[in-house]
Amino acid sequence: MTGFDFSLIADHSALLLTGAAMTVYVVIVSFVLAFGFGIVVALLSFLPGAVPRAFLSAYSIVLRSIPFIIVLFIVYYGLPFAGFHLSALLVGILALSFYKSAYYGEIIRAAIVALPRGQFESARAVGMSPRQAFVHVIAPQLVRGLLPPSTNMTLTLIKESSVLSTVTIGELTYQGMVMQGATYAPLECFAAVSGLYWALCAGTAWIAGRLERRAGLAQKAAIDRNPLAASFLSFERPKVRR
Amino acid sequence: MSASPVLRVQGLSKSFQGVPVVQSIDLDVHKGQVVAMIGPSGCGKTTLLRCSAGLERPDRGFVELEGQPFGHERHGAEIRRQSPRQMDRMRPKVGMVFQQLNLWPHLSALDNVVKPQVVVLKRTRAEAAERARTLFTQLGLSAKADEYPYALSGGQRQRVAIARALALDPALLMFDEPTSALDPELVAEVLAMLRSLASGGMTMVIVTHEMNFAANVADRLILMGKGRIVEDRPARGSVK
Repeated sequence: MTGFDFSLIADHSALLLTGAAMTVYVVIVSFVLAFGFGIVVALLSFLPGAVPRAFLSAYSIVLRSIPFIIVLFIVYYGLPFAGFHLSALLVGILALSFYKSAYYGEIIRAAIVALPRGQFESARAVGMSPRQAFVHVIAPQLVRGLLPPSTNMTLTLIKESSVLSTVTIGELTYQGMVMQGATYAPLECFAAVSGLYWALCAGTAWIAGRLERRAGLAQKAAIDRNPLAASFLSFERPKVRR
Repeated sequence: MSASPVLRVQGLSKSFQGVPVVQSIDLDVHKGQVVAMIGPSGCGKTTLLRCSAGLERPDRGFVELEGQPFGHERHGAEIRRQSPRQMDRMRPKVGMVFQQLNLWPHLSALDNVVKPQVVVLKRTRAEAAERARTLFTQLGLSAKADEYPYALSGGQRQRVAIARALALDPALLMFDEPTSALDPELVAEVLAMLRSLASGGMTMVIVTHEMNFAANVADRLILMGKGRIVEDRPARGSVK
């Protein structure tokens, strides 16, 4: 039994794909929850008053200082002692979303802070309420600033979801270990698992790239039509007339 | 009600971190007047403007727009703070053209003008677009309707900002340093535009520190210094 046995991977492909599907499910649900909660956290951080601000910065720094596996263990092993009996999957998703919300919250907050203050003011000046100003003026402009860091964070989220294998959630890493237990072929198992993680991350990055291009299109079209702006941004030297 | 001044400021004071910026200002601006406010940097012109536009709450004093309290409410003898919602409703009455213009870069020139009409005044998109196109024609922007602010010149951006304010049918237009962000050769262009707005009967308050500019476009000159009105007199180059 030497060499790399592809047939093992082929034999267990159904198992691994089930795991990958579970990873996709967990990641999508966690992303939606974490991002949604991140928006709330980011908006709350703009409330006046020292108390909410202190609470939110504590929340953010504490969560970002604890390894995810510890957060997961606290929630998974701790909740039953507090009288909550939830399924492993639910607990895993909640822990992951909660953990990541601190990161997404920081990203969203930074993107809002980076916008010129005048944008919010001009929206208020025409009579928009703070909510309308956010929906119609601030949020659409956040997309560009938000996409690159969120993409990074989401790739990390995909990889960190592997930690859920430690609490019996049948995602990709878990199924990889199941396969390795049955075949005693760690190289093949984890090579296949790596390949699938790569595919998930590459797919995510591709989608993000498309979105980024679309968000940039309006501005790009404007630049293309404006020779002066284009000349600043292109790598071509302007033609010198002699 | 027609006798009420478009803008009335009474005993308005505002401090920032204990530093008084505007001190007990009284000011009436009547319909059709073009008022230039001049004074050195830091004399409180912009703060007075921002308080009048409801972007800043004054520490003391009152603002009224066409006789209606703005920022406060009278209940018999008692005076209360106006609710933020009611202030939002009044704000479009004051068209504000910011120094930095603050156009919305994610929207085309036309949509910059359409958006507030749809969101704030609940006009349909078609109505709003028609109003915007009419304004763009008047302001010589028709060819630029679909451009994004990015691709516009300084003068064109300013006209978009003016169109955005005008589209909401304000009772009063306010300009904060309209010439300071522009190239010198564009100043004449702005001047011409302000003149044509004035001849159309628009009530305007223009904050500037260019004496010539003020004298050329305004029919009333207000000099400010250290948070107070130092002088209030008719301008030489009165339009009418």
